[in-house]
Amino acid sequence: MLIERTWKRWVYFYIPLTVFVVGTLFPFYWMLITAIRPDAELYRSWRAATNTPFWTLQPTLEHFRDLMAKTTFPQWLWNTFFIAVASTAISLFCGLLAGYALARLRFPMAGALGTSIFVTYLVPPTLLFIPLANIIRTFQLGDTPWALILTYPTFLIPFCTWLLMGYFKTIPKELEECARIDGATRFGAMLRIIFPIAVPGILSAGIFAFTLSWNEFIYALVFLSSPEKKTVPVGVVSELIRGDIYFWGQLMAGALLGSIPVALVYSFFVEYYVTGLTGSVKG
Amino acid sequence: MNKPIAGGAGSAAGLEVVLPHPRTTQPQRLTRLLENERALAALLLAPAVVILGTFIAYPFIMGVWLSLSSTSVGNAGEFVGVKNFAKAWNDSIFRTAFGNTFFYTFWATLFKLTLGMWLALLLNRHFRGKRIVRASMLLPFIVPTVLSTFAWRWMFDPTFSVLNWLLFRADLITTKLPFLSDGTYGMWCAIVVNTWRGMPFFAITLLAGLQTINPDLHEASSLDGANGWKRFWYVTWPLLKPVTIVVVVFSVIQTFSDFQLIYVLTGGGPANSTHLLATYAYQVGVATGLLGEGAAISLFMLPVLFVVVWLQLRYLRRMEGA
Amino acid sequence: MRRRDFLKSTGLTAGVAATGLESVVAARRAPAFAQGTRLNILRWVDFVPACDVELKRQAGEASKALGAEVVFEFINANDLQPRITAAIQSGAGPDVIMMLHNWPHLYANGLVDVTDLGEWLGTEQGAYYAQSEAAAKDGRRWLALPHGIVGLQFAYRKSWLEEVGQTTWPKTLDELRQVGMKLKKKGKPIGQTLGHTFGDAPAWAYPLTWGFGGMEVDRTGKKVVLDGSATVEAVKFMQAFWKDACDEGGFAWDDTSNNRAFLSGEIAATLNGASIYIAAKRGADKIKDEKGESMVKDIQHGPIPNGPAGTYSYHVAFSHAVMRYGKNVKLAKDFLKWLHGKEQFAKWFEVAEGFSVGATKYWEQHAMWERVDPPMKIYRQAAAASRMIGYAGPPSARATEAYTKYIMVDMYAKACQGMKAEDAVKWAAGELGKIYG
Repeated sequence: MLIERTWKRWVYFYIPLTVFVVGTLFPFYWMLITAIRPDAELYRSWRAATNTPFWTLQPTLEHFRDLMAKTTFPQWLWNTFFIAVASTAISLFCGLLAGYALARLRFPMAGALGTSIFVTYLVPPTLLFIPLANIIRTFQLGDTPWALILTYPTFLIPFCTWLLMGYFKTIPKELEECARIDGATRFGAMLRIIFPIAVPGILSAGIFAFTLSWNEFIYALVFLSSPEKKTVPVGVVSELIRGDIYFWGQLMAGALLGSIPVALVYSFFVEYYVTGLTGSVKG
Repeated sequence: MNKPIAGGAGSAAGLEVVLPHPRTTQPQRLTRLLENERALAALLLAPAVVILGTFIAYPFIMGVWLSLSSTSVGNAGEFVGVKNFAKAWNDSIFRTAFGNTFFYTFWATLFKLTLGMWLALLLNRHFRGKRIVRASMLLPFIVPTVLSTFAWRWMFDPTFSVLNWLLFRADLITTKLPFLSDGTYGMWCAIVVNTWRGMPFFAITLLAGLQTINPDLHEASSLDGANGWKRFWYVTWPLLKPVTIVVVVFSVIQTFSDFQLIYVLTGGGPANSTHLLATYAYQVGVATGLLGEGAAISLFMLPVLFVVVWLQLRYLRRMEGA
Repeated sequence: MRRRDFLKSTGLTAGVAATGLESVVAARRAPAFAQGTRLNILRWVDFVPACDVELKRQAGEASKALGAEVVFEFINANDLQPRITAAIQSGAGPDVIMMLHNWPHLYANGLVDVTDLGEWLGTEQGAYYAQSEAAAKDGRRWLALPHGIVGLQFAYRKSWLEEVGQTTWPKTLDELRQVGMKLKKKGKPIGQTLGHTFGDAPAWAYPLTWGFGGMEVDRTGKKVVLDGSATVEAVKFMQAFWKDACDEGGFAWDDTSNNRAFLSGEIAATLNGASIYIAAKRGADKIKDEKGESMVKDIQHGPIPNGPAGTYSYHVAFSHAVMRYGKNVKLAKDFLKWLHGKEQFAKWFEVAEGFSVGATKYWEQHAMWERVDPPMKIYRQAAAASRMIGYAGPPSARATEAYTKYIMVDMYAKACQGMKAEDAVKWAAGELGKIYG
């Protein structure tokens, strides 16, 4: 039964897979082609015979150059990276400890607490937005990266906790018990036995959290104001949109460059990501 | 697939970053305290609870208060009871947004699930270039939503749409399709973009689920022909159900309160026909400055989400029990 | 904020600022602000990029003149309102924010009273346009300092109109529809947005209503009078105009879409600021018409044609507001006085080439108008003909609320999507009723 006829493999495998690949990647091709298209071509009429939407004969790096020279794009990239790493680290730290406690320890209200951490994930950000602005004022965090580093965990912690809790549940209790019999403390067993085993789970939670922080727009739009403190999505959107020049070239250049760091992270970790999720989704 | 050596190295590095070293001057007393399950639990939960308490619980209570008051930007309001909720409910735009939110969530989730499942089954097979294809399938998920949505908006542009150009050249249409300039088309465009963006998450997570299934069944999980379909339905699907439900729960939460995508793609237009609850709450509360009314509209989302999630979780528990 | 506190604090800041200004003016030297003091100003990304370049240059000069670092931030105009709301609610953000339309009324309680500056500008640079005053003055109090007005006129392709036998810009709305009908048949429609966007959409929706004699509220600003035959006629005109003459993609256009469509030769005419002409002029080597000539030679401007009840315009007023939460109120006011003063404003005004005109009639006399291209001359006195949103009531936050909810725009959009004109008007009147009621 493992031997398939060639046509079958084409119809049920290669063709659908190709459609998926093309469909998924076409917008990226579109970004790229727009980013390297000279402005003069972008001014061409829709109906013009010379209109070649799918390729360009005079590719240019002008938009990338402008992006680098006329905006503080490298700075935005660094800000986004810093904010994403810091908020991911905080969320992982909290999620790891809380996830372990909820999965392994018996204490009163454990169920209720677990549920309420999960429920915080449901609260719509549009509701929190204004009250959060008040808190940011109280702590004097306005226009600092900390305004975001401390608010992003609100939607990252519930996710990390939940995912890691699931992962911990899949690790056999016996491992810990053996270590304890050998004289390890509860805390020590957690630190030296359980956490190392949970590394794939930690990685997947971390990657996911990193992506969400990288992606966030609305808090970043309103809590930061200085041009040099913005994140990539906000900087690109708020500073490159103007009426009479075609901003599309720079906008798409920004979108591409803004995705590369995350894409790199993923290409390194995609296998861990899959195995990590495997663990947690079993639980 | 999982390389133990690399994993070990990664874990050491990861731990150093994430965890403080438990050094203390009075190790013994601390150790004894940490042996107590309750004390340890309290300690471990403290950071999460403090952060969530400060940045969610308190703002949430403030948000509820806002929704019961007549606060507008720069003006402290008075308590007005459920007036804001009543006003929202009698508001035709709110009702449109409410309906749209369900429509959008339902179809987007359905598409993400079916296409994601299909993609996961394809990716679960062995073929050359598997690694690179898997990694590239994740791309839509990792580009910042606002930026990729701009690319889509450019593709759907009323005047310059490349899709229209394509259809036009292929003689399939004679006039441009009103991708974003018609409410119905606009909604479907948003669903397409959401599906494009969210499908990789489904695919990768379901792929993870597929890999936990006994490798003997691997070949059974490909969908070729009626026979393959049956095998999928009776063998793979039951094993995959728990994972699927978890992914769907998360996706429904995200999709139901989606904001960025509509904000960039249509801004809720034309004539409010593509507003979702989140974008409408934003327009009323943040853009117009009627903070009380905006908060009330946001709060309408909560009970709905709660019910959906509760149903799904209950289903999941029952299956686990069975 | 209670009324008493409000009065107290505004009185206080106004007093402080007044003494500060005197000292600067008298001594003509940099006042001593604490080292490292920074003044943040939030503005839109100008549709004439050169204007922002000029402001950045001026920021450098202002920093030297005032002894504090002046920093401009430019963001997409559609994102300004969320920033203002969050800034006021969180009590942190830019010290000075640019306001469009009559936003100062909406955010009044978050703004510093700048009556002293408002009076000073009026004395130095002559009478304000009614539009400037309506946008930023609340009775006797100036909520923000008027900066300029962006006029909106139809930009059109001369040769395309001539092709359908029209050698002058249409005088009446009906004539416009006739011309548009011929143009649309040739695949060169008129472009107008009915989307949710800050400038071009209301600049058409409001004047069209006025042109037929419709208005949102009566003179008291308390009674909604929109639902009447005048408004219904306006909506019926729009339905026909849309179908016969307009590019139907306009439902999804933002303020930038029609610029793009016009410059790439997709539409024959569109209501817009002068940015289309200015862009075509600056990019004359790139932006060509179908014959390969620079498009700029073929562009002309014309006003919104006459309706049965006259001709009206809505030009967008711009002002600068000093935010109350700011810690550098005095510095902010000094800066505004510097920036809006004749000497500095003239430099920026010249760069704008008529896209933004002054807030007062004084600037109609400026020598720049003798130098600008003929198509730009229409903007010289345009600002005088503008009415304020919320007509015929007094300027108010409610008019702004109706504007930010795009009620007038949506009334036309709904009708053009197939709702009966009477029902669309009824819907809009009902929505206005909820706001004014």
